[in-house]
Parts: sequence; C-alpha cells; structure tokens
Amino acid sequence: MATINELEHSVKPTTVHQRRLPLSLLGWRIAGYLALIITVLIIGLPVYWTVMASFKETREIYSLPVTWWPTSPTLNNFPAAWQAAPFGRYYLNSFITTFFGAGIEVILALFSAYALAYLHFPRKDLVFLLLLAALMVPVEITIVPNYLTIARLGWINTYQGIIIPGAAIAYGTFLLRQAFMAVPHEILEAARVDGAGHLRILFSVVAPITQPAIVTMALLSIVSKWNEFLWPLIVTNTTDMRTLPIGVFWLRNSEGLSNWGVVMAGSLFLIVPVLITFLFAQRAIVEGMTAGAVKG
Amino acid sequence: MKRTFTRREFLRLMMAGGGAAVLAACGGQSGQSTSPTAPAVVSQPGSKVKITYWGSFSGNLGEAEQAMVKAFNESQNEVEVEYQFQGSYEETAQKFTAALQANTTPDVILLSDVWWFGFYLAGAITALDDLARQVNLDFNDYEPVLLNEGVRKGVHYWIPFARSTPLFYYNKSIWAEAGLPDRAPETWAEFSEWAPKLVKSDGSRAAFGHPNGASYIAWLFQGVVWQFGGQYSLPDFTMTMTDPNTLRAAQFYQDTVVKEKWAILSPNLNQDFIGGAIASMMASTGALAGIQANATFPVGVGFLPRETNFGCPTGGAGLAIVSRAPAEKQLAAMKYIAFATNPTSAGVWARSTGYMPVRISTKQTPEMIEFFKQNPNFKTAVDQLPKTRAQDAARVFVRNGDQIIGKGLERIIVNGEAPSSVFADVNDELTKAAQPILEDLKAVEG
Repeated sequence: MATINELEHSVKPTTVHQRRLPLSLLGWRIAGYLALIITVLIIGLPVYWTVMASFKETREIYSLPVTWWPTSPTLNNFPAAWQAAPFGRYYLNSFITTFFGAGIEVILALFSAYALAYLHFPRKDLVFLLLLAALMVPVEITIVPNYLTIARLGWINTYQGIIIPGAAIAYGTFLLRQAFMAVPHEILEAARVDGAGHLRILFSVVAPITQPAIVTMALLSIVSKWNEFLWPLIVTNTTDMRTLPIGVFWLRNSEGLSNWGVVMAGSLFLIVPVLITFLFAQRAIVEGMTAGAVKG
Repeated sequence: MKRTFTRREFLRLMMAGGGAAVLAACGGQSGQSTSPTAPAVVSQPGSKVKITYWGSFSGNLGEAEQAMVKAFNESQNEVEVEYQFQGSYEETAQKFTAALQANTTPDVILLSDVWWFGFYLAGAITALDDLARQVNLDFNDYEPVLLNEGVRKGVHYWIPFARSTPLFYYNKSIWAEAGLPDRAPETWAEFSEWAPKLVKSDGSRAAFGHPNGASYIAWLFQGVVWQFGGQYSLPDFTMTMTDPNTLRAAQFYQDTVVKEKWAILSPNLNQDFIGGAIASMMASTGALAGIQANATFPVGVGFLPRETNFGCPTGGAGLAIVSRAPAEKQLAAMKYIAFATNPTSAGVWARSTGYMPVRISTKQTPEMIEFFKQNPNFKTAVDQLPKTRAQDAARVFVRNGDQIIGKGLERIIVNGEAPSSVFADVNDELTKAAQPILEDLKAVEG
C-alpha cells in the first residue's frame, strides 16, 4: 500500500486524469467503432452486392474472382426485369395489400393493447396468455388451415384473401401492450378527471406518448407485409393478383442458371420503397421520444 | 435439377409436416374414390372450354412455357389454356395438396418425378389412355424410357414434358492445360488417374464437384450406384442401400473427397464450374444452355463415366390431368398435352430450354438436325437418352426419399462416416418411410 501511495503522490493528479481517462475512453471508442464497422459490413455487404450485381452482366456475376465494381456497367438489367413480368401491376397489388394489411393490423393492435393494458374485465390473464400462445405458433403451421378457410369463403385470388388472415398478429398487440403499461398512471388519471373517454385517452394521450413503439410496430408490419412471399403465392393464382416478391421469384430459373443481374435488378424494385419508408419513419421514432419526454 | 438452399427449402421443411398430413388424409379417401366418375359440364355449343394449368416454370423457362400456351391458344378455337405459375416443384405440389382439400384444383398440372406418384396413390390424377384415344395421341412415338416412368399397371398417368438427364460437364481449357484428351472420361478408374492433374495444389481448384443434399445429390448418385452394380431399392420397395455394390459406390464418393481429395462438395455447383473452381461435374442437361452462355471457356460434355456398368437416371417433370376436373375439361387438358408434346412443339421446347425432346420423331425434324449441328453438346445429351433408365422407387416413390438419401451421402462425404453404418441407418429410414406407401399401393393396385 505504501508503495502505491508513494507512486500516486509522485505523479501529479492532473496528468493522471489527462492520461488515464482518455486512454480507456479511447479504448472503448475503438471497440465501439469496431463493432459498428462489423455490423455495417454484415448488414451492408449483401445490400452492396445486390446493388452492384444489378449493374453487372450475368457472365461477370458468375466469374471468379469476384469483382467489387462492375467492370462494364450496364443498365440493361432494369428494363429486362421490368419487361419480364407486369411489375406495374405487382407494385399496385403490393401497395394495396401492404397499406390495408398493415393499417388494419396497427388499428387492431392499438385497440386490443389498450384493452389489455388499462381495462378491467374477467379472465384478462387468460386472454393475454392465449395471445402469448398465438405468438409462439409459427406462421407456416397455420398456412394449410388458413388456405382451406379462405377457399371455403371463396376468397382465393382476391385482395381480402391476401390481407385478412394476416390482419391480426399477436406480436403487435403484445408489443403495444408492453409500451402502454409503461405510461405513468397519473397522466391517465388526469385525463380521466378532465372527462376524456377511452377513445380520447387512446388517441390524444397514450398514442402520442408511445409513438415510437407504435411507429416501430407499424414499420415491422409494413416490412413483413411488403416482403411476404409464401401466403400471397399460395392464395393467388393469376399473374394480375400477384405481389412484388413473387414477381422477383418469377425472374429466377427453376432449373439451370438464373440470370442474376436481372434478378438483382428486380430485387431493387422491391427494396427501394421500403428504404424510403424507413427514412421517413425513422424521424417519427426520434420525435416521438422527445415528445414523450417533455410530456412525461 | 439444381436447387439452391434458400427460403423455399426452409419452407418446404417447415411445411413437410402439414403437407404430409393432408396428403395422408387424401390417401385415406383414395380407397373409395380411385375411379371418380367425372361430372360432365355441358357448355354452350361453339364456346371455348377454359382450363387452368398449374406449373413451376419461371425465368426463361417460364417465358418459353407461356409462348407454348399462347401458340396452343392461337392454333385452335375450342380450348383456352391459362398458365398459372405456382412456385417451385415443391410449392406447386404442396399447393395442389391444399387445393384438393379446398376444392380449388386446376385441370392440368406439372408434377416432378418425386411428386406425381403420391398424387397417383391419392387418386388425384386421372388415367389418360381413354382421353388419349379421343385426341388420337400416339404413345408409341414417345421416348419409351421417359413415358414408361408414368405408367402404372399398363395405364398412363404422367406424360413426360420437361425431362432431363445428368451429363458429365468438363472445362475444356483446364483439360487442355492438363494435357488430357478432349473428351469425358470413359470410366471412373480413368478419371481417378486424370484427376490429380486437374487439381490446383493451392486448393483453389478441385477436379470434380458433388452437389449437396438440397441440390439433389441423390439424383446424381443414382446413376453412380447403378454404374457400380448396385441400386437404392428393388421394384417391390425392398431397400438395398447396404448392398455391397451400393456401399462400394458410396465408398468411392467418400474417397474422392476424403482420401484422394480431388473432389469437393459444393452448395452451388454450376457457379463453381463457371467460375473455374471445379474442372468437371455431373449436372442436369437442363443447365446446358445457361452454362454455355455464361462460361468464359469452351464447355465439353460427355456421357456419364462407366464402372461395372453404364448408369444414368432420368429426371424432371411431366404433365398430369386432375381426376376431379369435369370430363369436358379433362378432354381439353388432354388436347393441350397432345399439343405441347407433339413432335414439333417438343422440338421447340427442347431447343429453347435444353430439356430432352420427348418424342422420337422430333430428332428427325430438319430444325432439330440443324440445331444438333450447331450444338453438338446437346446432341450428346440426346444420344445418351436411350441408355438412361427410370429411377429406383427409394428416391422417387418414397416420400422425402431423395432427401433421406441425400442427407446420408452428406454424412459420408462431409463427416467422413463409414458408408456401411450410415447406409444401414438410411436403409431403415427408407423402409419405415415406404411402409405407408406400400399400404396405399396395395389399396390402389391390389
């Protein structure tokens, strides 16, 4: 102990502060950046590859060693992909099914989460348990019974056939219920004292405070509807009812070699609208957080 | 027969349980409804009969198939076919399974070599002989090896359409570099001598590539097993995976990778071949056109190598007519099948896709002779066709048999496990999986 004390005294406190803290901080910062770089690489490489491949000729995509930049960039893949299938129609179908599918899902999740978080009714625990159980069932399991139900309703090859079975997903309710539970009781009581009804409380008080959670849930919902492949493939038969992911799949060859440049160009048709949605929604998530902080 | 291991494969596995259960339910009913009397639809005289056709062709193949449908619709004014793409072979079959339950079936459907038999057992696809007579279809002009695969008890159920066989592909530049004669090896013994010259010592190039289980290694190995004098199973569904010759073939496959180290197991064989990471491979004739278009080197092809015997399986998909469809639509569907497989159409289809011409007389048409002249490699594929044979029941008639054998081969090649113990397991698994099929078969065929 004595030696350590002597050592500490021999070094000026100021220099210790200047040296030690920045060093450890620097270490953390380097580690942080490393993690960031690795994450960006893992997420970004496939996207980069997709974008680059859509400007390459198929022959170049297949050749080894791989080229990171197209040696002879071509724009031919985009018109080729667009003309190979009615992508305009696919866009329309994707917009309709995503808009209504995600819209209904968010509204149902809002109402059911509100009820589960704030209302008192018998067997509420049981309802929540049922919801959690529904959360555990993989979507693939329900495909055959869903198909039979939709077929008996005569909804094969219709928009409602694509949209309705996915309109209520347990995870949305679960996510929002958890967010609603975190809202301070005092705020709700104050609203109630002021004479607000359930709808008013939901839309004027709870929703603005939990905006980040709602926007996050809506985003997840939009992306999953937009990218959904198996259900729309099964429930539709004709080309004019198909959605974008099936259009991209159509570009691939079932046997032999796929024309990857064209497939990648088609993939970009699929990715770009979601990217734009993300850019806009991201702002709402940040704004929601600050808005909540001020009010809370 | 190439397939990448992607979402499709994952979903297939996820759905295997549900799909199989529904199929089993169909099998249960088949006892009472094996010969359904199709309801007749009386359409107004002069109006077109509209039929729905479910298929698995996308990309270039999809365009070729749509062109075929269009040509048919324009060639006559009695029938109108609507081609509906339903995903991969697996997804099409699964959707058909669900559609049988929900009563949303098409009229004519494309089924792959491993799927049609299950639907036959379930009574879902109809006997075609009567319909064929009505449209004057001549079964004698079809390649017998392809046609006979779809025959049960002397009755036709499955008409060959997009049929392929494996070929031996080699990279002519690497062959020349190694000083080898410009031809495929005649025997595996000969190739074992050549192989070390084709390998690059830094590990960047193997002499030969095997596909993985998901890319149907069991299909390509089928030929090799026959070459070594073995087989997967006997026609009565007795599994023979532990036959000494079958094991000898498996030992050879293992040695190429583990002991001799001149072959690799690759998840994307075609890509490795085009990229030059492997000097040769066995692959479907269906990939020939695509490989030739994208390779930067001259591509050589040849018959599969021999060992004790020659052995080469057939593969691909054929057309069937749904038994539930009304008689009038069944006849319309038969008219389409007759058109799509007539000597002219079979030639058009073969030239635009790389699949085998299913009609014997197609080979003598002037367009085909000209095409052979310009594409000698395709001629090789067609020349090999009469030497091929229908696959063993273990792979095509046992549900999931292809994947059971494929997984066993992966254990042998990748994990280096002893073939005798692995194939003993595979033999048991196949025997168990064949049990329900045998019961259904007894109920259907007696």
